[in-house]
Amino acid sequence: MGLRLARRESPVRGGQVLAFAVGLLAALVVGAALLAMSGHAPIEVYRSMFDAALGSPRGWSATLTRAVPLGLAGLAVAIAGSMGLWNIGAEGQIIAGAIGGAWVARLAPDLAGPALIPLMLLAAVAGGAALALGPAIARARLGVNEIITTLMLNEVAIRIVRYLVNGPWKDPDGNNFPVAPVLPEQSGLPTLFERSNIGVVIAAVVVIGVGWYAARSTWGYELRIAGSSERAAEYVGISLKAKLFSVLVVSGAIAGLAGGIELTGSSTRLVEGVANGYGFAGIIVAALALMRPSGVAAVAIAFGAVQIGGESIQTQGVPSAISNLLQALILFGALAAAVWVNYRVVRTGRSVEGGAGSAAAAGAGA
Amino acid sequence: MLAVELVDIWKRFPGVVANAGATLGVRSGSVHAVLGENGAGKSTLMNVLAGVYQPDEGSVVLNGEPQRFASPADAIACGVGMVHQEFRLIPTFTVTENVVLGAAPTRLDRGSLRAQVGELAERFGLLTDPGRPVWQLSMGERQRVEILKALWRDASVLILDEPTAVLTPGEAVELGRVTRAMADDGRSVIFISHKLDEVTAFCDEATVMRGGATVAASLPVGELDASRLAELMVGQATAVSQRRQRAAQVDGEQSPALVVRDLRVRDVHGRAVVDDVSLDVRPGEIVGIAGVAGNGQRPLADAIAGLSPAEHGQVVVADADLSTASPAARSAAGLSYVPEDRLGVGLAPRLDAVENAVMRSYRRFARRRIVDRAASRAHTEGLIDRYRVKVARMDAPLAGLSGGNLQRLLVGRELDEKPTVVVAAQPTRGLDVQGVAAIQQILLDQSAAGVAVLLISEDLDELLALSDRLLVMHGGAVVASFDPDDADRTAIGAAMAGAVSTEGVS
Repeated sequence: MGLRLARRESPVRGGQVLAFAVGLLAALVVGAALLAMSGHAPIEVYRSMFDAALGSPRGWSATLTRAVPLGLAGLAVAIAGSMGLWNIGAEGQIIAGAIGGAWVARLAPDLAGPALIPLMLLAAVAGGAALALGPAIARARLGVNEIITTLMLNEVAIRIVRYLVNGPWKDPDGNNFPVAPVLPEQSGLPTLFERSNIGVVIAAVVVIGVGWYAARSTWGYELRIAGSSERAAEYVGISLKAKLFSVLVVSGAIAGLAGGIELTGSSTRLVEGVANGYGFAGIIVAALALMRPSGVAAVAIAFGAVQIGGESIQTQGVPSAISNLLQALILFGALAAAVWVNYRVVRTGRSVEGGAGSAAAAGAGA
Repeated sequence: MLAVELVDIWKRFPGVVANAGATLGVRSGSVHAVLGENGAGKSTLMNVLAGVYQPDEGSVVLNGEPQRFASPADAIACGVGMVHQEFRLIPTFTVTENVVLGAAPTRLDRGSLRAQVGELAERFGLLTDPGRPVWQLSMGERQRVEILKALWRDASVLILDEPTAVLTPGEAVELGRVTRAMADDGRSVIFISHKLDEVTAFCDEATVMRGGATVAASLPVGELDASRLAELMVGQATAVSQRRQRAAQVDGEQSPALVVRDLRVRDVHGRAVVDDVSLDVRPGEIVGIAGVAGNGQRPLADAIAGLSPAEHGQVVVADADLSTASPAARSAAGLSYVPEDRLGVGLAPRLDAVENAVMRSYRRFARRRIVDRAASRAHTEGLIDRYRVKVARMDAPLAGLSGGNLQRLLVGRELDEKPTVVVAAQPTRGLDVQGVAAIQQILLDQSAAGVAVLLISEDLDELLALSDRLLVMHGGAVVASFDPDDADRTAIGAAMAGAVSTEGVS
């Protein structure tokens, strides 16, 4: 006997929210066992996780600030995903965005903040889009798989930023650390509340606005047609090449904006680790949002809270291993729940020779 | 002992009871017909037998032994193979690779596998070239590959789900021989159909289904009364497509609404699959195109619709030269196209009913590029109502609808754009009696309203009943033209087989 997944004929109605809650609960129960085994009081740990992430304005500030790069990266992935494309390069595009922003600050360090900040963010958008340009052209013109190209360009972006902060852009007063000089003071994003800056507002507008636009506009609708069937898209007169190209560039631009906001908001200078894994986390965010741009905002905040909560308990003597495990468990729970919304588990009978292959073939054809 | 016994099978889907106590008994070594309209539950019942669905109630018994199939693999292991309506083949793989996929020996010896597949094919008269990639094959050839797949897995029970829907008359006769060869080999063949003449020609027994239940089980074909059978199937007076009244309003002097001149299309190998085709369709006229599958009908339709580029030639709709126009521009100029592939080209399977229904018209429902949801939903409800599409949920992926409903939605969507020219490729293939009649009536209504209709079909009866003029394609060219009123079937058949040279074709 074995188990396999079969796609549901239609997703469970309202199942996403329920599934998310059940997944979270299951993760907390397993996590409690782990905590208890390692000598911690699960309830207290959970309470302090919650307090740190959502229990105070300060907690909300930390959570929302974290949700900014997660949400933008998640949106970047989900936008491409709604056409059936995988942008695995958000990490590199975030770096490219940060480089673009930092470059503007180097060129015009004396510009007033209200001029400098928008320019830096624009350069960040352009940087992210520029890194996605190659994969976009290759995919639209030659049909080169965008998963490979975007993934490989992450490495390129990391090498470039490493070169810059170790070479031409290295801060002479940086005690030989591989960092770029501190940005001009007026380039910092204005504070919103507590430690949050207006990057939260910018990201919220972009994530919610683009999410809404993707759901309601002809552009988003055409993306979904093309994602469902390329032949159908051609048949109703949608230019596939233009769509492939534009969606990947837009995806890169959104990820680039995340890099710009990280640079001007949370960071004071360009460092190698500016992307901090947000680009990859964005893939998880998009997956949890079932590749629907309109679902990204909520998932990003929840994911941000889990990260902030998980990091906070490390200061209370919970080993980072346990903290990371807890975060991973919650993600697993939520991902399993997201799968459940679209798939049901089917028991398979005795295994037969070649059975797995034929079942997979039948499943793929269905 | 019966090879297959399905006893009191119940299967429910959200909002639909697909099988309500269906039964079936099949003798080994026989060809058994399962008759019924679309939505009668035939496909569901067969999917239960093939392990695709698990029944809510009821039992599956093979050779006296009760079985529980959790997957198609289980069913295959017990010797039940199914050829689905929508083929499950990998286009880039060769015939041999598709046949042995998932059931190949550990050590692959391509040469000997190919020989084995060729041998198997020959034994049952399934003519194919084992080395050819599947994407090059016609629908009829692909079906043979599907049958070979089942035989390769040594299926003793073979389910053919509306197999003749994709076949030409000649190919259907060929399939009849193949099923007989399989039955003579001791296998049981279950033949799903709603064409009575096929049932009487190919089958030994027939079971009739209606509304998810069996209304008549294992009737001996020799004692069949066709009208009684049809009554059992439909449950009401039969809708037999009548020879249509010759459209009086077709005026020979009127300038044609669709003009195709010297159209040539080459496939990836440089073969001219449409070879200098010229034809005219006047307003109010239905021009039928007959031909054996794979003789250029599909690329011709695609080229007229603008989906595949023509090497040279002209397409003119209502005096507007659209030879190089995009598919969308052609549609906007009044050319509607009902493509052969409903799901995948005509409709997007993962999108819902509303999103599919507005695929032609969404730009109209958008203000500043934002789609008006209420308007597009109202439009969809109108289409569903006018063309009698049965949709359980407006927001569920379309893939769950039956063939007939899909086609009604597609045809409705295309004709709702008030076209001047309609190109319909295989519009009634795979539909039930009522579905066929509904689609045919829609086409007749269109032509009565002055629309020029180019009807591509592999059903000669349909073409003879509907067309004002009948063209025959062979080898990519139009080789003959007939007046359906005094057409000689033998002559048409000869033309389809390529036995006539081009004569005064209009």
